[in-house]
Amino acid sequence: MITIENLTKYYGSNRAVNDISFTINDNEILGFLGPNGAGKSTTMNMITGYLPLSGGKVTINGVDISKAPIKAKKDIGYLPEIPPLYPEMKVKEYLRFCAGLKGIPFRKRGEEVDRVMELLSITDVKGKLIRNLSKGYKQRVGFAQALLGDPKFLILDEPTVGLDPNQVIEVRNIIRDLKKDHSVIFSSHILSEVSEICDRVVIINKGDIRAIDTIENLESSLSTGLVLHIKVKGEKGTAASIIELTKGVKEMLDITDEGSSIFSFTVQLEGDADEIRGNIMSELLKNNVNILEIYTERPNLENVFIELINRPVQKQSLQELLAEMESEAPEEDDTTEDTKEEN
Amino acid sequence: MFPIYKKELQSFFYTPFAYTITALFLLLFTYMISTKVADLDSNLAIFSYTEVFYNVIIYFIFLIPLLTMRTFADERKFGTEVLLMTSPVSVLKIVLGKFFANVTVFLFMIAGTIIFPIITSQYGNVVESQLKCAYIGFFLWGTMFICVGMLISSMTESSIIAAVIGELIMFAFLFLDDFSRTAFISQYPKLQSVLMAFAAQPRFAYFSAGFIRLSDIVFFISAIIVLLSWTYISIEKKRWKRG
Repeated sequence: MITIENLTKYYGSNRAVNDISFTINDNEILGFLGPNGAGKSTTMNMITGYLPLSGGKVTINGVDISKAPIKAKKDIGYLPEIPPLYPEMKVKEYLRFCAGLKGIPFRKRGEEVDRVMELLSITDVKGKLIRNLSKGYKQRVGFAQALLGDPKFLILDEPTVGLDPNQVIEVRNIIRDLKKDHSVIFSSHILSEVSEICDRVVIINKGDIRAIDTIENLESSLSTGLVLHIKVKGEKGTAASIIELTKGVKEMLDITDEGSSIFSFTVQLEGDADEIRGNIMSELLKNNVNILEIYTERPNLENVFIELINRPVQKQSLQELLAEMESEAPEEDDTTEDTKEEN
Repeated sequence: MFPIYKKELQSFFYTPFAYTITALFLLLFTYMISTKVADLDSNLAIFSYTEVFYNVIIYFIFLIPLLTMRTFADERKFGTEVLLMTSPVSVLKIVLGKFFANVTVFLFMIAGTIIFPIITSQYGNVVESQLKCAYIGFFLWGTMFICVGMLISSMTESSIIAAVIGELIMFAFLFLDDFSRTAFISQYPKLQSVLMAFAAQPRFAYFSAGFIRLSDIVFFISAIIVLLSWTYISIEKKRWKRG
């Protein structure tokens, strides 16, 4: 288990990571999500012991990374954002060097290197200079390096960047397989990827944690209601007015004419979706409008993500709340004055 | 430590680097010997290997920074520093691994010069004891400047800047004793003695004259230890400042 407590990082006076805490359980894939510059890489660099912490504590399996770095680092495989490769080395040579760095006994190195090359299907380029490899191969060589020595925790900073769609699927499958006896922290700004393989996600923006939860909980907890799609055959006006007037319909988002009097409606719902859908269906049938297709859709993760990162940070302590109220107070005064003037 | 040492050696010897720099050094060394031999016609000239060594060290102002410039600067440039820093290897071992690799290439460079005394001994006499002293002095002197070069390399991301600054510092060190003997500095004997204490050149001169003095050995070894510690500190400091 990796525990991160009150992790903070300052670059000069600039705060890059602000007092974040979370844990990575055993056999879990944790997605680390955030826009560019959110502090993802900085956090990962601190967890792996590359960057010193400005504040807080990181423990890897009970070992404090600041106090016993060598011991803690033995359990970590790290693939940084830019794969750390020596362009003038050959792939196998490089991996053997990394195996040595990680303290794998001399006799087992060859076996271990072959294992990771096989796993990431880079055996065919083992004799090539890293300089001459394509971006996808370089990325995979970097990934192979992180897997050497079978460390318990894998920290992967955007591992699928630069891979073609086939390779992306391969790498995702590898990560899924690794879950059996590893924990993985996986950063990305590609949402579909995270929602597909991660058990939980941590969403951060500007150094603050915006949410830590499972994908399902995040999606359902958001205020954005469900969206209903209906495809009907009949008169456009009748169908539209029935749908609009049904209780629980918040907004008509889109109407498309698909020809031969077939129309598609996209509707934003509010409240109990099943009931609303039932009402709409019965009303439409009463008025002889044929329903060709009807389904409700959850808001996609994209919306969740955008809403979460734009949402103001939740204030945890009373003091913070009070401080905020104080700073807001004069603004309220201004508005009341304005309204008075208007009156 | 050993994997880093091995990797560094590979980067020197699997590329033309070590061979090119050695060839350049031997060319300069041979040129120096051949001019000395040519001078033998005039009766005043005395030929001695130690003198050749003494004359040849000026070339190292350019060669040693070339050798050490990439040590840490390139790791930073290619982003491989992350790999070293997140591996279960201490920074001290990283510094030592790289130090020994640089020293090995330096030994490779000076090993090529042994051929000249061997050839000479076939036809005449070589004062072996003096030659050994000169080699020891040469080795210690070069090793100290390898440490200077590594220190500079640990401070920058550009290997070119590392080389140029290294050359400047070596240049300053080489002429420190000349500078401290100037009339201006002689006015302040205390300052003069401090500057003289730091001058490596006269200490090397003792070695090349065939003296092994304990104070000189202590000077070089302590300089090496201090410079390596500074390199270590500089890397740690860079980590803290990284943004």
